[in-house]
Amino acid sequence: MNCVELQRSLAEVEDGSSMEQHAHLRTCPACSALVRDLNLIAATASQLQAAEEPSPRLWNSIEFALRQEGLIRPQRAARPLVSSFGARWGAARWLVPAAAMLLLAVGIYVRHQSLPNQLARQTPVAVPSANIAGLNDDDLMQEVADNAPAMKTQYEENLRRVNESIRDAQGVVDESPNDEEARRSLMDAYQQKSMLFEMAMDRSLP
Amino acid sequence: MVSKRAAKLVGIGLIVAGTLVAESRKEYHFAVGPRAGVSVMNPYGSISVKPSLNNTVVVNAILHSDKVEVDNSQTGNRVDIQSHLLAGADADSGRVDYEVLVPADASITLHSNTGSLRAEKLHGDVSLEGPGAAVDVRDISDAHVHVKTMNGAVNLDNIQNGHVEVDSLSGEVTLRGVNGPLVQVVSTSGGIHYIGDFGNSGEYRLTSHSGDIEATIPEWTSADVSARSVRGEVHDDIPLQPKNHTWFPVDKGRAFAGTMGRVAVSSTVVLRTFSGKIHLRKRSEKQ
Repeated sequence: MNCVELQRSLAEVEDGSSMEQHAHLRTCPACSALVRDLNLIAATASQLQAAEEPSPRLWNSIEFALRQEGLIRPQRAARPLVSSFGARWGAARWLVPAAAMLLLAVGIYVRHQSLPNQLARQTPVAVPSANIAGLNDDDLMQEVADNAPAMKTQYEENLRRVNESIRDAQGVVDESPNDEEARRSLMDAYQQKSMLFEMAMDRSLP
Repeated sequence: MVSKRAAKLVGIGLIVAGTLVAESRKEYHFAVGPRAGVSVMNPYGSISVKPSLNNTVVVNAILHSDKVEVDNSQTGNRVDIQSHLLAGADADSGRVDYEVLVPADASITLHSNTGSLRAEKLHGDVSLEGPGAAVDVRDISDAHVHVKTMNGAVNLDNIQNGHVEVDSLSGEVTLRGVNGPLVQVVSTSGGIHYIGDFGNSGEYRLTSHSGDIEATIPEWTSADVSARSVRGEVHDDIPLQPKNHTWFPVDKGRAFAGTMGRVAVSSTVVLRTFSGKIHLRKRSEKQ
């Protein structure tokens, strides 16, 4: 079994435990890491409570996107309202899934903080790093390096502010891991940082 | 002395003439059907959208130099306009200012880096985005309104029955007479000002990390209000009926929660900051 076959087979065999899969996983660090990540996500997702459903904002965004795509307005043309994702983002389009991964990682991290108190108290809170998803501040500043000086300064200033907000919220989460509000603030701060990256990478606005 | 002055005048005249020569105006017309989609992507310059009188999209573009062109296309019921920067264009020479007329039910998407973005008197979806763009949206009904800016000020005025989402990093956000099933603002350091009645039995979520949040509402508002600042202060000028249960500890000065008006038609209002102040004010008759 090669890597492609293993990844296909993961969808069919739930626990990744067929003989063939075992044999491949023993010799392939990349697939082993993938299976570990998938197991972690599956385990964490199962701990999500009903009370922590996606916000109305998410549904709203989905509805808006569907309306723009014409999927819930039959009379509208099928082509998306804005130019294609790939065309607009060019080489930096990988940063969008990266940003999504960042948010997912932060979401998992925040969830971990709400697991049983003793766990939170015993384990020092790790700072979720933007590098988890391959995003870092240098990339952003490099991306806006060619902008007009005033705009570049604005990006720098806003990056500083959003990093400050992450540090603030992180500090309180470290002090009080069960503070729901502080965790929400941390999540919001990461979402804002993700938005800043999205704006910087948007190829429709040089 | 006189010759110096004359030289100055001639110089100014040449500059003005040069500007006029470089500046050009283009106009495009597109026939569209109901609920058309119109997008305008403009790196530098303003975009203003108003309703047209019939099923026509009219685009008036003022190009500030010959280093920028306007690309336009129509595919069925969609119109795409894009400023196309040529070699050597910068924020000044690449600037285009647009005035666009669209059928009132059209959905619009506007992008600009630096200029102002305006939309008014429409009832199709509105999406406005730009890092430094100041945003002004008014008289919109029954539509989604999405705004995304970095540091541009955002003003929304008279949005009825809207699904409103504003994301801003540091710009001030002001909502005046905005209501609907969902009204949500998220900011990092910008202040958020809401002046209205939290109507429509909607969900209102105003969040800023370090910016202040001020909501000014009439006494007759019906709402279930909760407010919390992790490190800042909260002030409440309006007496609320306390709630028996809240999802957070109501620390005096840091949080409040309660209901006002008629419960049956009340909206849900959640005001949150990390270190900013929250102030719920009673609207005076003059406001």
